[in-house]
Amino acid sequence: MKTCIACGMPMKEKADFAMGDESKDYCVHCANEDGSMHSFEEQKEAMTGFIIKTQGLAHEAAESAALSMMRKLPAWKEGLGVREKGLGVRG
Amino acid sequence: MADTRRLQKEQTREKIVAAAIKVYSQQGFAAPTTAIAGEAQVSHGSIFVHFPTVESLLICLLDSFAQDLTAELHMLSESGGDVEKLLAMHVDVLIKYEGLYKRLTKEAVYLPEEAKNTFIAIQSTVSIHFWQALEPEISAGAIKLVPFHMLFNTWLGLIHYYLLNGDLFAPRGSVLRRYKSTLIECYMALIKK
Ligand SMILES: [Zn+2]
Repeated sequence: MKTCIACGMPMKEKADFAMGDESKDYCVHCANEDGSMHSFEEQKEAMTGFIIKTQGLAHEAAESAALSMMRKLPAWKEGLGVREKGLGVRG
Repeated sequence: MADTRRLQKEQTREKIVAAAIKVYSQQGFAAPTTAIAGEAQVSHGSIFVHFPTVESLLICLLDSFAQDLTAELHMLSESGGDVEKLLAMHVDVLIKYEGLYKRLTKEAVYLPEEAKNTFIAIQSTVSIHFWQALEPEISAGAIKLVPFHMLFNTWLGLIHYYLLNGDLFAPRGSVLRRYKSTLIECYMALIKK
């Protein structure tokens, strides 16, 4: 089974894929109206909004969690890795 | 030859993870890595061969808990389970990780950012399935008009309160096992119209 590269959702049915196209690697929730995948900023906003809606967290805490989730997903992993390398966050 | 070594390495890693779950459950997340090495019966240095930082070990534990929980949630949503079934399954998985989960609820504020975020991601997965199970009943007007996150947080709040006060509610044994059906019944009675 394929998993969405942008949010991690398992894509079981045709309707789960962007534009119902099973050759796509991302899901219907991570696609714009024209079928293209969300940009980094759009995805960050969408995931932050989702966490606020389902768990009621404060915006900054929700955004931090969204970024941490994105860091583990193939679509964003590399970009986020590079961004943080210079910060010396490793303990 | 190379395969045997890889297998051994994998087994040691699993032993360390299992030992860490046990030690953290008993002593909290400030427990020293020497205690984990002792429990796993491996050398102290071997922990750092597998996990370069304490934080990476902690995140690995949380990930294995998350995988287990996600697998159960998927199985349930495939079978089209209702809210009560979902709550029952949630409690069952928490019983399996009760010691660790109790520590998480208690000490999450002191955890490093990344581990804290992993915990939020775990709750996020639970909330998606919670929403899927509850949505048909909300649409049917069977649930009180309360924001979704409050429905979810009320359930977590109930579970966490009983866990944190386990010494009062169930001085011996598992508080979640003892109160599972009471908590589910009362929660449903609270949210239903
Ligand atoms: Zn997606």
